[in-house]
Amino acid sequence: MTLIQAVFVLFAILTLGAGLFTVLSRHLFHAVLYLILSLVGVAGLFVLLEAEFLAGVQVLIYIGAISILIIFAVMLTRGMARNPGPPLNNQSLAAAVIAGLFFVLLAPVIAGFPWPQATQGVPADAIEALGRSLVDPNQFALPFELASVMILAALIGAIFIAREKR
Amino acid sequence: MAPFLVEAAIKSLILVLLLLTGFAYLTLAERKLIADFQARIGPNRAGPYGLLQPLADAVKLFFKEDFIPEYADRVLFVLAPLITLIPTLLIFAVIPFGPELTLFGYRTRLQLTDVHVGVLYIVAVTSISVYGITLAGWASNNKYALLGGIRASAQMISYELAMGLAIVSVVLTTGTLQVSGIVEAQRNGWLIFLQPVAAVIFFITGLAEIKRAPFDLVEAEQELTAGYLTEYSSMKFALFFMSEYVKMIGFGALMTTFFLGGYLGPFVDLYPGLGVVYFTLKVGFLIFVLIWLRATLPRIRYDQLMSLGWKVLLPLSLANVMGTAVVVALTA
Amino acid sequence: MAIREGEVQEFTLEQLKHLVSERALRGETVLLNVGPQHPSTHGVLRLLVELDGETIVSVVPDIGYLHTGIEKHCESKTYTKIIPLTDRIDYLSPMSNNLAYVMAVEKLMGVEVPLRAQYIRVILTELQRIASHLVWLGTHALDIAAMSVFLYCFRERELILDIFEMVSGQRMMVSYFRVGGLWRDVPEGFEEAVRAFLKLMPARINEYERLLKRNPLWLQRTKGVGVISPEDAIAWGVTGPSLRGSGVNYDVRKAQPYSSYDHFEFDVPLGENGDVYDRFMVRIEEMRQSLRIIDQALRRLPRGPYITPDRKVTPPPKEELAWSMEALIHHFKFWTEGFSPPPGEVYHAVESPRGEFGVYINSDGSPRPRRVHFRAPSFVNLQALPIMAKGGLVADLVAIIGSIDIVLGEIDR
Repeated sequence: MTLIQAVFVLFAILTLGAGLFTVLSRHLFHAVLYLILSLVGVAGLFVLLEAEFLAGVQVLIYIGAISILIIFAVMLTRGMARNPGPPLNNQSLAAAVIAGLFFVLLAPVIAGFPWPQATQGVPADAIEALGRSLVDPNQFALPFELASVMILAALIGAIFIAREKR
Repeated sequence: MAPFLVEAAIKSLILVLLLLTGFAYLTLAERKLIADFQARIGPNRAGPYGLLQPLADAVKLFFKEDFIPEYADRVLFVLAPLITLIPTLLIFAVIPFGPELTLFGYRTRLQLTDVHVGVLYIVAVTSISVYGITLAGWASNNKYALLGGIRASAQMISYELAMGLAIVSVVLTTGTLQVSGIVEAQRNGWLIFLQPVAAVIFFITGLAEIKRAPFDLVEAEQELTAGYLTEYSSMKFALFFMSEYVKMIGFGALMTTFFLGGYLGPFVDLYPGLGVVYFTLKVGFLIFVLIWLRATLPRIRYDQLMSLGWKVLLPLSLANVMGTAVVVALTA
Repeated sequence: MAIREGEVQEFTLEQLKHLVSERALRGETVLLNVGPQHPSTHGVLRLLVELDGETIVSVVPDIGYLHTGIEKHCESKTYTKIIPLTDRIDYLSPMSNNLAYVMAVEKLMGVEVPLRAQYIRVILTELQRIASHLVWLGTHALDIAAMSVFLYCFRERELILDIFEMVSGQRMMVSYFRVGGLWRDVPEGFEEAVRAFLKLMPARINEYERLLKRNPLWLQRTKGVGVISPEDAIAWGVTGPSLRGSGVNYDVRKAQPYSSYDHFEFDVPLGENGDVYDRFMVRIEEMRQSLRIIDQALRRLPRGPYITPDRKVTPPPKEELAWSMEALIHHFKFWTEGFSPPPGEVYHAVESPRGEFGVYINSDGSPRPRRVHFRAPSFVNLQALPIMAKGGLVADLVAIIGSIDIVLGEIDR
């Protein structure tokens, strides 16, 4: 096993293990912290793939912004955080079985899929290429703009719902 | 691979040692300066001119009882100071302290590492620096600390965006995400002249990010006794204290790098060693301004902080980014 | 519920629940205990604050942590020996307390006070007002985190304390006034010291004002914060600068002039909105008016005796004891038994830096009062805190406490 592989396994365990604890921890606040740890693992995987930009964005947006919002919300809802209920309910067994079945179904498909392999390494100016592809009408300009409009709509909707009714 | 690792190890060691002594004497400098602003004398008992005061403080903190409240979340309570300190140290990894120079026959750059996405790295690391404070506020199981923690996260969310956008306008102007590239791009003129609005926004949001006066609501001793620090003592307190001052240096270093031409200055190409001097002087000046502000300004209120962030700084920085983009597109 | 003497009234938790809202009992809002040990409660004041996020739903002040029993203590002292106790009520303005007390006794006994003593009393109490306002301004600014102002204010207060030390030998617990006049005449150099202070101070007051009034952050923190309407202020019995900040023109010095205040020209500064900023401006302006009064009093300071020659309330001069049997008897009687005012009761109020400071004395004709009560302005003004603070933020609470300018020694007595 090369060094890279060892590091990959480490990050994979971090990601999955933290993900498991996210679901299983009794305390909502701890769950969020495990979620953050899991996201750190994903960021590590991106670095391993030489996708530094994605790693940075992952940390910035998922860890630095979204998780802090979740923590903020948890801190404000004191009652919810103080009385942790059991993390599992009576559907947990069924859920586990279904999830297991799903894994059994998907695993051979993923393993057997002929994934295309890049012939050359990651280009040095990957960021510029990424930026260009997002604004190039022949590439991803339309999906990018569509996503933006959707997020904007969601934002406006959220404000509308959250606004105090007079 | 090996020489690269050795080089990095030596550089990190020097960096950490410098930062830690810098932190110790920064506390003394702040106390002395504020004493001057307030017509007092300041610490003058430990050693000549109080020069041994940081040492005395350190000894005192070591011998204080390390107290953990009974109902605290013990693991998080212990981790929080470390989580606060580490990101603040991480920032310095990508800051160039001087130009490329030859040391002992070895050509090197006075920068720990020059990643391609250095700017993104900086923004990402600053965005996680608030976790330590929020966790400390939560883990203490104290209402004052919790209020401090909530304030910290709210403050972070409100100022992160504007700060990021101010940096985006820097990136747009210089056309690079590499930190050394941003410094080199300022050879023809500091960015503070090209991007004055971004510089002001960065300065204000930076103050808020490092929670210095007048944005020190997180510990606001008059309101929250000490905010997130309320339950901390001994070395854990010292770690928070340390990160607070290292953050001051970090803020000065970032502001210098982005807007004040970093290590650039007259004759820096002839004598590369001068770069370090220029850099230190610029950072020192910025830290002086921070201390000056602390001695002068009252604290802003929670809701005013929010409205300043969302209603003034964010639209302003957005407009600045758009304006910069238009200018860049037209001149390209 | 009437409380009989010697009976302790106890409350159950059920009886106290009405102090906070229903939501606090359900856990929707947070009950935050502020004090008695807290940096910004100006002493050992405890506040039970109900918070919705950072918004204040209600404030319940809880006092009694500094109870010294001064009022009860007075009942076992002769009239002269009570004077040092009054210093310790409002320890930031002992001169005003001394004045209120000795004037009450004078009123009870019908003693005439020489004009020189009256003028010196005015000079010293006005100096005291400035000293007290300086402490207030410094701590108030510190509460809003403008910390340098605090030290500037204390620098100037030091000058006033030096003058106090000069006249009384004490910097804070002065006990300088006596029934019928003063302890002794002001020493040489007093007038020069006060003149020097008068010369220095206007520029310094302007400096404080500039430091804060032109600071947008200060304006944001004080304007429109902690508003109390004139009606509410009157209803709660608020007096002093806190009342005048709401625009009510009531100053004991003008309404019931005492100690020749009617000889001097001065204005009573008034606010308009009743917010923290107005109370701040009223006090700043009051310092200037105090300087004006001191200036007039010093210029017109008459010569003459510093204490009434009435041997009933004044010990005879020391040198007389050597040759006058009568003086020796007076001296002995005065210092052992004290003097006995006629039976009856009296109330006298002065304008202390915090508001109307009143002294009520009930005499049974013996050398010791039957009952002494102090109307402490801080105590009454503090009652208005919940009204001012409601709906504000935690940071406002601190600013509002500062703007009421309470002294806990006076509240608990």
